[in-house]
Amino acid sequence: MFALGRPSRTAVVTTYAVGVVALLLFLFPIFWMVLTSVKTTAQAFTSDPVLVFQPTLDNYREVLFERGFSKYIGNSLVIGVIATLLTLVLAVTVAYPLARYDLRGGRQITSWILSLRIIPPIVSVVPLYIIFSNLNLVDQYPALIIMYTFMNLPLAVWMLRGFFADIPRELEEAALVDGSSPVGGFFRIVLPLVVPGLVATGMLSLIFCWNEFLFANVLTAARAKTAPVGLTEYATPTGVLWTQIMAAGTVVVLPVMVVGVFIQGFLVRGLAAGAVKG
Amino acid sequence: MSTEPQALPINRVGPVAQPGPVRGRRIGPYLVMLPALLFLLAISIAPLLYSLVVSLLRYNLMNPDRMGFAGLRNFQLILSSPDFWNSLLVTVEFVVIAVGLELVLGLGLALVLSRDVPGVGVFRSFILVPLALAPVVVGLLWRFMLNTESGILNWVISVLGFSRTDFLSNTTLALPIIALVDVWQWTPFMFLILLAAIQALPHEPFEAAAIDGASTRETILHIALPMLRYPILVAVLLRTIDAFRVYDLIFMMTRGGPVNATDTLSWSVYNNGFRNFNMGYAAALSWIILIIVTAVVTVFIRLLAGRAGETA
Repeated sequence: MFALGRPSRTAVVTTYAVGVVALLLFLFPIFWMVLTSVKTTAQAFTSDPVLVFQPTLDNYREVLFERGFSKYIGNSLVIGVIATLLTLVLAVTVAYPLARYDLRGGRQITSWILSLRIIPPIVSVVPLYIIFSNLNLVDQYPALIIMYTFMNLPLAVWMLRGFFADIPRELEEAALVDGSSPVGGFFRIVLPLVVPGLVATGMLSLIFCWNEFLFANVLTAARAKTAPVGLTEYATPTGVLWTQIMAAGTVVVLPVMVVGVFIQGFLVRGLAAGAVKG
Repeated sequence: MSTEPQALPINRVGPVAQPGPVRGRRIGPYLVMLPALLFLLAISIAPLLYSLVVSLLRYNLMNPDRMGFAGLRNFQLILSSPDFWNSLLVTVEFVVIAVGLELVLGLGLALVLSRDVPGVGVFRSFILVPLALAPVVVGLLWRFMLNTESGILNWVISVLGFSRTDFLSNTTLALPIIALVDVWQWTPFMFLILLAAIQALPHEPFEAAAIDGASTRETILHIALPMLRYPILVAVLLRTIDAFRVYDLIFMMTRGGPVNATDTLSWSVYNNGFRNFNMGYAAALSWIILIIVTAVVTVFIRLLAGRAGETA
């Protein structure tokens, strides 16, 4: 960009040097977590780091099967999947009309929806806890499902509006000419075309649910506890089970990184679009 | 609301004047949107109104019998409490250190890695990995690396000839260290937004600068940065909103301590509401936070509107 045409040799060298240093800084901690998760406590608790050792899966066995972490993962999945499906259905009902129709007040609706993300969740946590406990919903799935749907809906509307707007109008008009009703045309022509957008938006929503901690920590206890809240069992001031902590952390982080690799382009678009155009 | 002239009712009536679905003035689209909009409205407004009520109460979950109307007592208590002003200061310090460093590092990385060098895509992608991590895991991971006896960072420090330090138990260092952890996780976000903005810049000004023989430094300072003002402000706004909420890292790394060195506003609400069970006080504090956030965002948006107007 700043040296149009062929970049000079020094430019190439600095670019690589900066890139390598940045990658080391950003990736080493993750590598270290995974490495520690396959060590024994004795190997992890040394004043000089141990790099050569016989890896063990004992920490994973302990975490997943003996400490009940798999139950928390199950809770996270159920809550995340249901909230994401709800988010997608609701988001489509708003995003499609906003993208397709020249609605009076459409711009105001869009900015209002996006402005909801400004409210810090901590501000609503106290009243929500009281409301949900009066409804006997604390430590039940619906409380978190409702909150996660609410949390992800604005971004989902924003992303899907973009995907709907990308569909050529002629396609829909052709369907109308062929005698489809607007609703029939929507389900037969439009919806199949935005499947990639739905998948990307759904994945993003799923990741946000999976990583969320504040609502989960306040609104769940024993039964509906999610994986991030499960991690707090280890975060005691005297906690020394570091190898197990790193195994549990790896279990939480790894699926997101794998999914992230596949949908990176969409995620970048989702995260950057809201910021650059918003 | 709308000041649009009402002069064209004829065009809006009947299906004949409206070929295709695009210019529909029907009620259908609004009906389709209604459930989702009502849902958003209910979940955003109801808790705020309810917490306004709670903020006027003497309401401790441990002492439900003593519940009663307290007027503005909770607000008075908060504003006259040194803990609140400490929390405000801690939060501002955290936001300034974290977002400031994220901007400098993210912008620097974006400028360097915007060069089209073979293989640069690998760097651009892998830098984004920390964004995918749950903040709770990030907090635990860094706490482990900072551990005095066995943490790898303290090993590096000892190899360099300094003495091992218990950073998170140090009232001066704990907050900046947590801010640095935030920098580690969110610099990639700044990088992502600013890289996209740089790639979207028009080529002509840079070609002109190259013909005039401008140095890279001059080109960046006098051409690129002025054109990037708007995306920079947006990125800083988004990160400020987010950093202001810091809670996960505090919970996992210090729980507000040592003493109250990392007692941010978010942590303070949690601590008062869910560890001291003082719901009235916590609800009042929530409202004060909401007012602060709204004020900050309004200032930002004024700035944005002004800047956007200049360049447009």
